[in-house]
Amino acid sequence: MNTNSNTYTVIYSIILVVIVAAVLAFAAMFLKPTQDANVKKDTISQILTAATVEGEDILATYQDAIEAAILVDMEGNKVDDLDIQDCEVYGTADLKRQIAADQKALPVYIFKNGITVVPCYGAGLWGPIWGYVGFEGDLKTIKAVCFGHKGETPGLGAKIADEPSFAEAFVGKQVGTGDILFEIAKPANRQTENNGVDAISGATITSQALGKTLNQWFGFYQNYFAKNAAGCCGQPCCEEVAAEEVVEPVNTVEE
Amino acid sequence: MGNIKETFLNPIFKGNPISVLVLGICSSLAVTVQLKGAFVMGLSVIIVTGLSSLICSLLRNTIPNRIRIIVQLVVVAMMVILVDQVLKAYAYSVSKTLSVYIGLIITNCIVMGRIEAYALGNKPFASLMDGLGNGVGYAMILVIVAFFRELLGSGTLFGFQVIPQAVYDFGYMNNGLMILPPMALILLGCVIWVQRSIQKDLQEK
Repeated sequence: MNTNSNTYTVIYSIILVVIVAAVLAFAAMFLKPTQDANVKKDTISQILTAATVEGEDILATYQDAIEAAILVDMEGNKVDDLDIQDCEVYGTADLKRQIAADQKALPVYIFKNGITVVPCYGAGLWGPIWGYVGFEGDLKTIKAVCFGHKGETPGLGAKIADEPSFAEAFVGKQVGTGDILFEIAKPANRQTENNGVDAISGATITSQALGKTLNQWFGFYQNYFAKNAAGCCGQPCCEEVAAEEVVEPVNTVEE
Repeated sequence: MGNIKETFLNPIFKGNPISVLVLGICSSLAVTVQLKGAFVMGLSVIIVTGLSSLICSLLRNTIPNRIRIIVQLVVVAMMVILVDQVLKAYAYSVSKTLSVYIGLIITNCIVMGRIEAYALGNKPFASLMDGLGNGVGYAMILVIVAFFRELLGSGTLFGFQVIPQAVYDFGYMNNGLMILPPMALILLGCVIWVQRSIQKDLQEK
């Protein structure tokens, strides 16, 4: 057979592509449930990090540690429950939908250790960035954070996820009031001492994007925070301790 | 049979794709920060080179000459996507660290190079061995480079602390430069240097 004729070449390429497409489609369908389970586990492990809960088996740890997982609207009223037994959480796609939605359903994860975790999601430099912020009972003071990203520059923007000192800088900081709820910038450019952290040097755009994202999402939750804060009243320590904690500037943005 | 053995062993040392043919350098710089990543990447490349060579060799008499590169590319791309999907399903954390680099195996010159140079002109079994051998050769260099980078850069091996805390207390510090890509290039240079001093016939006059 003449393998160099036009007809042969065209038919050959069609058959090849159809076979390859079938193989890949089958593999994608077959592996999808396992992959989705992995992504969900990863999301839960990030939520657990923000809640300062540790454990070997992520799903079991989550079920043990969670008190309630609810959805609230912009007014701070509960609109629905998330199924705890099923470890139902809002993934990045769900969070993305809430930004533009008129009727927002914003997840709140309340843990038995008193920490409340809320998510955030926004655009970074190269792709989406997201994160989970764990608050103390006053719903104001940050206890722990865990950020993630799709494809920020390794060694620069990616530090929001893999640089421990960046996450540690958030501990003890508080959500502010007014227009600026939280800032990520170099100390000289920050308007408040206690409502922001230092940006990452060399990663100005990612840092600013994360600041903007946190601001937006803290704004979404503002009413919920106001309604549900346990209040520091009984323990005046909260604010003072946080104020005393002067974090040395580790990273500053070079301009 | 001796011939087949030679086909498998040659690319591991004497004709190593990285240190002798200097192919696939980019990925070896990117994924050698930690041994675990290098190991999985090496394994993925072994599977991709081996099976793509096998498939292309099986098809070699039917492939129309004018579109042979495209056919090779389709086969390689299919294998890479399969490996990527399987990793995402069964080794999620590793797949997250390797991120785009698994997908970039498609552009690894070793895979296409071996298919074009060997698999299209040889029997399937020999081609499989040639592909596997090249994959192993690639993986070996990756693991060597990653060993030194992780040991000196993070003080760990496979994520386990191997340099005792006492040494740090004495004032020892991890070399941050080792984490960065330039050190991978320098280490790779050292590997090539060592190989060339052992194998005198590789030295240019």
